[in-house]
Amino acid sequence: MSVLRVALLIAAKDLRIERRSRTALHTATLFAVLVLLTVVFARDGGSVSLLTLAPSVLWITIALSSLVALNRAFTLEREHAALEGILLAPVPRSALFLGKWLANLAFVSLVMTITFPLWILFYGVAVTPALFAVAAVALLASIGVTAIGTVFSAMAVRTRHAELLLPVLMLPFLLPPIFFAAQSTVRLLAGRPLDELWGSFRFLLLYDVAFATMAALLFPAVVDE
Amino acid sequence: MPESGNYMIAGYIVVAVVVVGYVVNLWRRGK
Amino acid sequence: MPDAASAERQIRRGRAVTLIALLGLAVLYVMALQFTPPERTMGLVQKLYYVHPPAAYAMQLAFLTTGLCSLLYLLLRDERFDLFAEASAEVGMVMGMIVVITGPIWGRPAWGVWWAWEPRLTFTVLELLVFGGYFALRGAVRDPQERAKFAAVLGMMALVLVPFNHLTVYYFASQHPEPVALRAGKPALPFEMLRTFLTGFGVFTVLYIGLAMQRYGIGVRAAHQEVADA
Repeated sequence: MSVLRVALLIAAKDLRIERRSRTALHTATLFAVLVLLTVVFARDGGSVSLLTLAPSVLWITIALSSLVALNRAFTLEREHAALEGILLAPVPRSALFLGKWLANLAFVSLVMTITFPLWILFYGVAVTPALFAVAAVALLASIGVTAIGTVFSAMAVRTRHAELLLPVLMLPFLLPPIFFAAQSTVRLLAGRPLDELWGSFRFLLLYDVAFATMAALLFPAVVDE
Repeated sequence: MPESGNYMIAGYIVVAVVVVGYVVNLWRRGK
Repeated sequence: MPDAASAERQIRRGRAVTLIALLGLAVLYVMALQFTPPERTMGLVQKLYYVHPPAAYAMQLAFLTTGLCSLLYLLLRDERFDLFAEASAEVGMVMGMIVVITGPIWGRPAWGVWWAWEPRLTFTVLELLVFGGYFALRGAVRDPQERAKFAAVLGMMALVLVPFNHLTVYYFASQHPEPVALRAGKPALPFEMLRTFLTGFGVFTVLYIGLAMQRYGIGVRAAHQEVADA
């Protein structure tokens, strides 16, 4: 069985478990919406316009929600004691990583898909074709972020205070993509032409390639005894 | 700007304190 | 695992090197404060140029070493690399602290504000956060082998992050205009300043080595203790 096929099977299994209980999806989405709302209430309505904050808030929300979403992946395994089973089976570690990553990416994307329209609504973002590009940037950034998150959550779940540790480990790695993603979003919402954004896109692409590679190489070391 | 001499001294003191402090810390731990 | 006797040797040697470095630091101080002319326009505080950048460089050296040792640990599974990675990271944090404390002390008279998101300070903050996480991770894993493995994984990720942090900081800083340009003497430095500047780098290099050696020996000893306690 090819690596890709095994990976897809693993991802499908993960997502199936998710679909049966759905609590993680509901909770992660609720969390994202709450972040949106926290900023609305935390700012002074008189002096700070929501539209000015919109790009920053989008990326803060994505970053924080990703952390929540990533944590559930391995907690799930631990609860179902399924990881030991998978590790015993002759599954290539690369397939396990790929499967986990795809499941995480799907989950994070789903949360973002639900949150995105609410962001547009609450922050008064103009509905233009530029929003497709914003969504594309979100997907691009998520690829690298979830790759790193897959490795880090595999480590964090084996430690005490896992929920606290994962954000502390991940956020420093998220700052560079958040910066470039937010920059792109600001320009897109301002109607700037796409060619001004190539620098940011290239950075995000490079980041994704670098960290997806590193994550794939390092994941086996984390899960193997 | 010329009065920045005080800041200069403060900076050099900070560096000395941190370096010596860490050296002492390592010394004690190395006992 | 290096034996207990070699740990003591490392600590002793490290102390000797550190002592030399401290002497060098004293020489640097005298050179910088007494024998180097002040820069014409920036006032006396500019003299922090002889300690602030060297500390930043030492931090980078330390963190890069941690990254490399992490790679070597993962490839060779030799505990010594993990222990040196940890030692180097700790020294790096101390150097980083020097940077972020002297930064505002320099910034206040130079810029009029205590903090500015200029490249060096921003980069240092980012790196300190990554390595704070490194120690948080080490503290949260009980089993020594798992701890070494996980720390090495993070160390390698951190190594790869360095160029991205540099890139980010470069573009980020261009958005936060420095109140006053901080580049002391980027066009050719007069000889006395260059001499002192390079001495600073030399001193901090030796200081890093001495401190890391000591910390490594202490780490080896602690590892033995852990095995004994188990």
